[in-house]
Amino acid sequence: MLKHFVAVTAILTMMPIAAHASIDDNWLESYNRMMFDFNMKMDEYLLKPVAKGYRAITTQDVRNRVTSFISNVNEPVSSINHTLQGGIAQALTSVARFAVNTTLGLGGMFDVAEGWGLKKNSVGFDETMAHYCVPDGPFIMMPFFGPFTLRSGAGYAVDSVSSPVYIASLNDANYAAKISYGYTGASAINSRERALDLLDDLQKNSVDFYSTMRSAYLQNRQKMNLSCQPANSAPSYDFDFDDEDFGD
Amino acid sequence: MKYKLLSIFAIAFSMFANIANAEVDAAQAELFVKNTTQEGISEIINSKASQAERDARFEKLFNSALDLKFIGRFVLGRYWKTASEEQRDKFIDVYRRLNVKTWSKRFDDFTGKEFIFKGTSPSSSNNQVFVNTIVPMDQAQPASVVWRVKQEGDKFKIVDIIIENVSLAITARNEYTAFIKKSPDGLNGLIADLQQKLKQE
Repeated sequence: MLKHFVAVTAILTMMPIAAHASIDDNWLESYNRMMFDFNMKMDEYLLKPVAKGYRAITTQDVRNRVTSFISNVNEPVSSINHTLQGGIAQALTSVARFAVNTTLGLGGMFDVAEGWGLKKNSVGFDETMAHYCVPDGPFIMMPFFGPFTLRSGAGYAVDSVSSPVYIASLNDANYAAKISYGYTGASAINSRERALDLLDDLQKNSVDFYSTMRSAYLQNRQKMNLSCQPANSAPSYDFDFDDEDFGD
Repeated sequence: MKYKLLSIFAIAFSMFANIANAEVDAAQAELFVKNTTQEGISEIINSKASQAERDARFEKLFNSALDLKFIGRFVLGRYWKTASEEQRDKFIDVYRRLNVKTWSKRFDDFTGKEFIFKGTSPSSSNNQVFVNTIVPMDQAQPASVVWRVKQEGDKFKIVDIIIENVSLAITARNEYTAFIKKSPDGLNGLIADLQQKLKQE
């Protein structure tokens, strides 16, 4: 446990340095493109065939139950982060959702709580850091894990160690590795299966898939950072022909 | 006579000034997107016509609803300014055809889904507006789809679609300008690559 916190602290202490690097700086581009190619090969020969196999042997309903189960496991993480952001009502909603879905929803396979008006509102430590205006840092392609910014990577690490799966693995030395790797593997396969059609479509029609993925990933994060942008410099989808900021 | 002439100039000037400062009619822009999506759903997605007929209808709707020339200029960024007329025409043509091809297939994914309209947001361009919609999804929170609409006179055109915070125009611009920068053939290399993609099944 301690070594994970040390790693997370080390990443967080790097942030002020990284904060000076704009997300559009490409000083990491050579590394990122190389790692992207590596990840694409791993995907082509390992993750994608497994995801296709998973789709072949399961029905949509079974896959929906798996997605619900994985989502339910993350409710306590949402609850902690709502609390850290001062959203007590949302934190209690996440706790209630976890309690209802884990019991009546058969371990989270069914989202009974949604029907009771307890709406899902997932947040992680990345959003919490964004809430307190921690800068996003540069875009980094991680081996096996895919695209991150420095902040989203730190958020992912903190979420991982605050997940019930991680706590369960700590309390069961005999099955610790099986629990951790089993859950991580199941999540990865489930996510990849859900993205099979979309990624195939994007890749087929893209002339520079790395640039497409990077652009989409960073744009998707802009909303999270809006509350901390100084006036008139909020990320915007307003554009005109004099705008030369994109695509460099 | 002098007063008459002055009056005519004054009226003409005030009309010109009104046009120059005209703000987009947000309600009409929203109605335009509503009609466009409604036509797409009823005439294409839910239609029992043959695939070829549906593709033809989609191409017609796509060409009439989107300002592909405006979008094409934007996605080429600074390379538009240095491109020859021939390169511009070739790019717009292949970009239009590739988008028609890819989006007619993606359109089928909207089967059984609907757009819920959530009002409009202003744009920094005074002849444009954002029309906000959401699409309820199975097993997930509703997806946000924002339409950027440009008004010219009483005509409206879509110039960008922003899905879950990802602008299709900005993404294409990042992708295409990165490609041109790396390609030894520059813009011609991009046009050739897009033409190649058009031939793929």
